[in-house]
Amino acid sequence: MIKSYKLKRGLVNAFIYILLAVLGIIWISPLIYLVLHSFRDEGLATVSYLLPKTYSFKNYIDLFTDTATLNFPRWFMNTFVVACFSCVISTLAVLMVSYSFSRLRFKARKPLINIGMILGMFPGFMTMIAIYYLLKAMGLTQTLVALVICYSAGAGLGYQISKGFFDTIPRALDEAATIDGATRNQIFWKIILPMSKPIVVYTVLTSFIGPWTDFILARIIMGDKRDNYTVAIGLYTMVQKEFVVNYFKRFLAGSVLVAVPISALFLFMQRYYVEGVTAGGVKG
Amino acid sequence: MKRIIAMILAVLMMATLFVGCGGGDTKTNDGDAAATGLAPENGATLKVWAPDAALDVFKGQCDKFIAQYPDANISIEVVAQGEGDAATNLLNDPQAAADVFSFACDQLNRLSDAGVIMPVNTKLAEDVTARNSAESIMAATLNDMLLAYPETGDNGYYLVYDKSIITDEDAKTLEGVFEACRKANKKFIIDAGNGFYSCMFPFTGGLTIEGLEGEENDVQKFNDYDEAQVVATLEAFAKLFHDYSDIFFPTSPDKISAGLAEDPSTVAGGIDGSWNAATVSKILGDNYGAAKLPTINVNGEDKQIVSMHGYKLIGVNKSSKFPNASQLLADYLSGAECQLERAEKISWGPSNTTAAASEVVTSNPAISAILEQSKYSVPQVNISATFWTPMGTLGNNLCKEDAKYDTATLTELLNKTIANVRDE
Amino acid sequence: MKYIEYMQLNPFQRFWYNFSNAMKAFPGKLKNFFVAVGVLIANFFKGIGKAVAGYVTRFIKGDWAVKISYLIMGFGNMVKGQFIKGLLFLASEVAFIAYMVFFGWGYLSKFPTLGTEVPGMQLNPVTGGYEDVAGDNSMLILLYGVLTIVLIAIFFAIYFASTKSAYAVAQQVAAGEKPVSFKSEVKDLLDNKFHITLLAFPTLTISVFTILPLIFMILIAFTNYNSSHMPPGKLFTWVGLETFSEIFAMTEGASKGATFLELTKWTLIWAVFATVLNYLFGMILALMINKKGIKLKALWRTLFVITVAVPQFVTLLLMNQMLQADGAINVLLMNVLGLIDKPIMFLNSTALVARITVIVVNCWIGIPYTILITSGILMNIPADLYESATIDGAGPVRTFFSITLPYMLFVTTPYLITNFIGNINNFNVIYLLTAGGPGTENLYQAGYTDLLVTWLFNLTMNSLDYNLAAAVGILVFVVCATISLITFNLTKSAKNEEEFS
Repeated sequence: MIKSYKLKRGLVNAFIYILLAVLGIIWISPLIYLVLHSFRDEGLATVSYLLPKTYSFKNYIDLFTDTATLNFPRWFMNTFVVACFSCVISTLAVLMVSYSFSRLRFKARKPLINIGMILGMFPGFMTMIAIYYLLKAMGLTQTLVALVICYSAGAGLGYQISKGFFDTIPRALDEAATIDGATRNQIFWKIILPMSKPIVVYTVLTSFIGPWTDFILARIIMGDKRDNYTVAIGLYTMVQKEFVVNYFKRFLAGSVLVAVPISALFLFMQRYYVEGVTAGGVKG
Repeated sequence: MKRIIAMILAVLMMATLFVGCGGGDTKTNDGDAAATGLAPENGATLKVWAPDAALDVFKGQCDKFIAQYPDANISIEVVAQGEGDAATNLLNDPQAAADVFSFACDQLNRLSDAGVIMPVNTKLAEDVTARNSAESIMAATLNDMLLAYPETGDNGYYLVYDKSIITDEDAKTLEGVFEACRKANKKFIIDAGNGFYSCMFPFTGGLTIEGLEGEENDVQKFNDYDEAQVVATLEAFAKLFHDYSDIFFPTSPDKISAGLAEDPSTVAGGIDGSWNAATVSKILGDNYGAAKLPTINVNGEDKQIVSMHGYKLIGVNKSSKFPNASQLLADYLSGAECQLERAEKISWGPSNTTAAASEVVTSNPAISAILEQSKYSVPQVNISATFWTPMGTLGNNLCKEDAKYDTATLTELLNKTIANVRDE
Repeated sequence: MKYIEYMQLNPFQRFWYNFSNAMKAFPGKLKNFFVAVGVLIANFFKGIGKAVAGYVTRFIKGDWAVKISYLIMGFGNMVKGQFIKGLLFLASEVAFIAYMVFFGWGYLSKFPTLGTEVPGMQLNPVTGGYEDVAGDNSMLILLYGVLTIVLIAIFFAIYFASTKSAYAVAQQVAAGEKPVSFKSEVKDLLDNKFHITLLAFPTLTISVFTILPLIFMILIAFTNYNSSHMPPGKLFTWVGLETFSEIFAMTEGASKGATFLELTKWTLIWAVFATVLNYLFGMILALMINKKGIKLKALWRTLFVITVAVPQFVTLLLMNQMLQADGAINVLLMNVLGLIDKPIMFLNSTALVARITVIVVNCWIGIPYTILITSGILMNIPADLYESATIDGAGPVRTFFSITLPYMLFVTTPYLITNFIGNINNFNVIYLLTAGGPGTENLYQAGYTDLLVTWLFNLTMNSLDYNLAAAVGILVFVVCATISLITFNLTKSAKNEEEFS
């Protein structure tokens, strides 16, 4: 009886191992393909076989040396700067909004929460022209500042998950602190924030990744100012008709260079990310 | 209102008179400018949009332009901007856009409708008309007004092939091309799902576009075509694509050069755009074959495939602060000398008639193939914004694997495509 | 129904039970919703009425300083010693008047017509060149008109607050109290009014860069801004509901109405599949990874989760290349594994194949997210639930459907709803993978895999039908709002049921 149970469990586990291995390969293989072909030496845009025949660092070296037309290192720096600034501002905005919605009680709270939800349901493309002209009226078009503004201006609307997280922190803590004479400001900075590491990390991570992936709004804002492109528009430019033949391999190399730091950051912070999103995203 | 305009005009005229006086001293050896009395504004700073491939050439040419007016203190910045997106970016923000820009001619009515393009100076127009091919002038004209300066005469596609597989004789008919590809078991590529290429299927059957019509002047007008002929041609294409589905691949043209560059090559040829010609000819070397599009056999008759032929134009931004300098620069950049230099350095086929007849051009296989094909083509003029998507769909429907291609289905497909283009 | 009876039902019966209960409750809920909306609107007007009444009474009751502050904002505060506050009020008045005089009024006055002066060209006989004759720009009039209206609303709010504040300080002085100092008001902003401090900045940026553009977009749906009316060369103007009637007009062939219906249908199908499949498979995978006795958990999780970290547009563009007729996947299936003898046209052949392909690729993208999110919760399911199920002799499949899934659904409903809405608006996957293809002659400017959002994008970028796109955007919103309303109600009642009070 016990033996057959063990055997059965062993079989089940073996089956799971096989399944996980197969699925894992399926999941990871496009990324392996990406990495291998970013080192491909021969051929132009694509080849009709799976594994490259010759490998070299040429695509990577070209990316950093042949910068007259498409200046990848500069774009990389641009994106990094924009990502840092917008990540700080967005994180603050998100925490501020979600904290007030979660912990503070005021007359406009309910209506504001509802408005926030409603705003999230409109598809945003048509608003791009308006945003462009507003930025133009401020004299900011084609600048990195404009991108920081665009990526962080609406950040406050993403309050749901961190509000959910704050909701899980017992209110008794606030009450005790109030009795001790702490102001709400002090409670926010000294009590709640130190307890919110997971959600802070989650917010930082998501808002840091944003600028690396947007290729639509940024393209409209930058227009012909190639020096101020971000990597996302830059990489997208590389696969356009005029460039794709000679630049596709560099596109792959550039993608790897963008993916590596983000992946590292992500894996490093994964624990907090999961904690933040599980605590905040589901109980709401 | 009229009075205001009159006043503005008076002021402008005075201003230009002064400018004219200032420019009077700067007599140069430029024939055109001297004849027209047009002179660039003193201290003009211009921005020029040129595609990446031509960036360096444009820079050199702009320097030469500046040298022609040594006293005018002109400074020019040449910025990279793909021709495909020129109109989009210009419309997005005319004030931030270039003064002089290079664009593909299908964007002309968009630019004109939005009122962001400045017509060619009437004093220069006559000369521009005289020195360029009639078709290219047609492509730059809208409502009897010359709106832009023709820059090239070759924004089209041609047949590119590997001579070691497809002989020049094979390349005369599509059937021959396909047969040769099958023998060598190598691919042949046409981007049949893309409206720019797929419009050749109905065009070969006798369909053409004849400008725009309608209340808002935004509905595509087609000729009085013979429906049975067009459908028969579509049928012939579809049949051929299905018979040779082992070697015919309807994917994007960059796969042509990619496949040719493999060792051993997996592609024998395709219908490719002029912008890839330099890359392909480098790959194939002596085996580089370039020709006008082949014929296709429709019910026993060999029909020349008719393509869409585009032009690149140089336009002047209406918001330019230095209209005279911009006009003169555009005139210079589209002149014979500059066109010839571009033909030499980056293989752009000229629209200028003297440049087109020169040795440089006639000895360049890609340019001459495209210029040859332009005789069998529908000029890419006055195309409505709704043209491309339905045409691409038509092409895709001809070559997808489970497609039905009997007369009734194709007649319906054709009629629906035309209705969709006309937004009916 | 008692808990015991409920537990004896199989999952489907249970679902039906909850569903029918929810449906029964739904008309009432819907009624309540409309009542609530009605009350909200009524309250809004009541509030305005009250504010106006208060505004008038305060003027009558207030002293001379209060009366003057009705014209010169902040005067009352300054007279009573609240200098900084008074100056701030005054500054806002000056700034507002300056804005209106130098900028706002010019646009606002043209707002009703969106401009009348058609820009044109004039031939200058001396230079031979054409010259620009300036005219109105409908788009800028619309945009800055909206901006001005929003600013006027904000100004009036400040204006009301200033009269209120002047009156309050006058009352305080009259009662012999010392007026509240600026310092203590600032202090209050860090405590009792901390929400104002926290929300001020985000509200400002959201108003300018989200709400204002949204109002602009919504208004465009009521104009004729399309390829034939492109500013700055031409004017566009108000046309009322014409654009909407165009969308719902059913003509023969590829009418916009038929396209809208077909795309709505597919958008909903897509959203359901994309959400449900990702959710189910992600959870099953997470269960497997976290199962007792499975080793190398970190490795397995990393294998899946690493795909989350690569920017989506990179993986999607790559997938697009790999799914081509001569792409890597066909090479693998045909040349390496020998499973097929002809390449499969994943993306541009039949509607069904392309639709299945995008759903599968979306699983590849979405499942890792589900693994990330559900792993933590799955560990939190009370162990005794599982034990009792094992004692009952339930197999893993039954345990999954009778315990894991209901528990997870219960806990993760908000995530599911946002995910569903996100999938309705999932632009990237469709745009980068198929660009809407395969195209069909039966749809207007759209293909079989186009979602409403990608259609909207095509309408703006390719055919320049801005008004149509704006109207579609509004309709997408209506669809999303309705769905979240219904699901929220459904799940709320289902939740009440699960609590078995």
